[in-house]
Amino acid sequence: MNENARPVFSCNGVHVRIGEKEVVKGVDLAVLPGEVHAIMGPNGSGKSTLANSLMGHPAYALTGTVELGGEDVTALPPDEKARRGMFLAFQYPVAVPGVTVASFLRAAVSAVRGADVPVREFRKELLARMEDLEMDPGFAGRYLNDGFSGGEKKRVEILQLLMLKPRFALLDETDSGLDIDALKVVAKGINAAASNDTGMLLVTHYQRLLNYVHPHVVHVFMDGRIVRSGGPELALELEERGYDWLEPAAVGGV
Amino acid sequence: MASRPAVAAPELALDHVAALSRAAGEDAALLAIRERARALLTPLTLPDRARHLWRYTSPATFLPDGDPSAAAPGDVGPAWRLDESLSAAALLGGGGLRVIEIGADARAAGVVIEDLHRAGVADLLGRVVPAGHGFLEAINTAAWRGGVLVRVPAGVTLEHPIRLRLVAGALSLPRVLVLAGEGSSFEVIEGHVGGGAAARVIGVTEVVAEANANVRYGLVQRWEAGVIGHLTARARVAAGAHAQLSLASFGGAEFKADVGAVLAGEGAAVETFGVAMGGDAQRFDHHTEHIHEAPRTTSNLDFKVALTGAARSAYTGMIRIAPGAAGSEAYQENRNLLLSGHARAESIPELEILTDDVRCSHGATVSPIDPEQLFYLASRGLAPMQAARVIVYGFLDQTLGRLPQTTRERIQALVAARLHTE
Repeated sequence: MNENARPVFSCNGVHVRIGEKEVVKGVDLAVLPGEVHAIMGPNGSGKSTLANSLMGHPAYALTGTVELGGEDVTALPPDEKARRGMFLAFQYPVAVPGVTVASFLRAAVSAVRGADVPVREFRKELLARMEDLEMDPGFAGRYLNDGFSGGEKKRVEILQLLMLKPRFALLDETDSGLDIDALKVVAKGINAAASNDTGMLLVTHYQRLLNYVHPHVVHVFMDGRIVRSGGPELALELEERGYDWLEPAAVGGV
Repeated sequence: MASRPAVAAPELALDHVAALSRAAGEDAALLAIRERARALLTPLTLPDRARHLWRYTSPATFLPDGDPSAAAPGDVGPAWRLDESLSAAALLGGGGLRVIEIGADARAAGVVIEDLHRAGVADLLGRVVPAGHGFLEAINTAAWRGGVLVRVPAGVTLEHPIRLRLVAGALSLPRVLVLAGEGSSFEVIEGHVGGGAAARVIGVTEVVAEANANVRYGLVQRWEAGVIGHLTARARVAAGAHAQLSLASFGGAEFKADVGAVLAGEGAAVETFGVAMGGDAQRFDHHTEHIHEAPRTTSNLDFKVALTGAARSAYTGMIRIAPGAAGSEAYQENRNLLLSGHARAESIPELEILTDDVRCSHGATVSPIDPEQLFYLASRGLAPMQAARVIVYGFLDQTLGRLPQTTRERIQALVAARLHTE
């Protein structure tokens, strides 16, 4: 991580509405290459909405600006954001029956890199990344997320992160539903991506992922806003004290 | 569409049946079958639109414009380049048959591919699809021209498929008879190509699977745009035999298919797998039937339809379990994916369960592409059209995955080609 680097991702004055309801009420963020930010907050605070809307989910109306590597991508559809190096690891990855993990990833890698990847080269890379994530090679031939356990889905999300090598990744509750072994493997993948200069925003409800992934910046997100930002120590404080002490009323209406 | 009003008194001349039979070198027994079928059509009465088979398509749509028995024979059509390993290949078109190839192994094993007109098998014709099956089957029985007999002797296993290519002309009435001897095992693929604007096809295929045979029969329809055609393909499956019927529908303007099997002997098993892809203003009307007549028979059906443009599809799936068919199992699933707001699909399961002690289930869905799937694929860089293609390909490939490798790959290629032209 380079202190002089320009943010790989930033957003300013982001508000998100779902129908009539405002769910995200003004968010500013700037993430440097290789920097890991954690957004922590209670259930229902709007964290997942923020992650999905930043990627461009069509159900959410986002205002404000979103920049990737200094380029304004606010109005771009999600596939164009992805081709510019943005990634979202889903909290609930959807199944795509009939499409194998390998064929899907090859299509995605080709789309993001803008050129077809030779089959042999792709296969070699895929198997190496699967080994990193302690996945059975047979997984490559399974239908994407179809009948996968929660842990398997999360591993496949991280596998995609490692294969697509985005400049900036949003990880939405990637730690939920994982046993401790799976959590360690997923954390290893996240750390590998960060050391590869991917900037990351981890959306999480729990502190436990942060035992294995060490964020540079921690944001506390409540009721659609970032109510406090700080270093890793903030995560530990949340672990001890919970969120109540940070209720907007308690902190004087941030 | 090109259909005429069903209320007009339909007329159908069949004045040249005897001449047709004579010119084709048929024996008297075959002519007698034709004449009996002609008698069924005199006078011609079209089926009631209220009957389930014709609820979605007017029967008059498929009526030939002139006397179908008078059609002059044309060229069989060009041979095609064989780019795969086949046990045998034959071309049927212009009212004639050209056997392209019978492999040495198949020949040594006694496999027969021959002109059905002269095969001397009148006693075997119409056992699976009798002339009384319906008016189109009767027209075909009276006036079919260009037919092929495929006979695989008892106990013979063929490593490679038998491929039949049927080329549609202005009016085609092809007839196919597949005889699978006791304990034989092979794959036969009937591919329909050709035709042009307003070309008509009325085809009938019969598959007889003797005891313990294992037959994989594939019906692949990829006519040119504009063809109006009806294909009937039925199998009769004896005790202990297994039939896999696969159906892939791509072409034509208006296509109606009647595909099915009678599970006639104890322990018979039938699997039917189908995919259909329609676009523009195409009309598909697929009917399947699994008729369980014997005890402990099993059938499974999985039929997938993907539609773009203003295409329409109707699917009716009959499962009939006769009183004597105790201990049988039957499953049916039909899923329809609509890629356009103008496409329409209907799915009607029809169950007639006439005995207790059976297991039977069915499921049907008609739905657009899941927007969450599209968003997921978009977040991986896939543009909307490419994402839709991946989803449709997967949707169909789940079913294609059950087919023999060669057929699967061929249909996958057709699906991919079709997806890239949308």
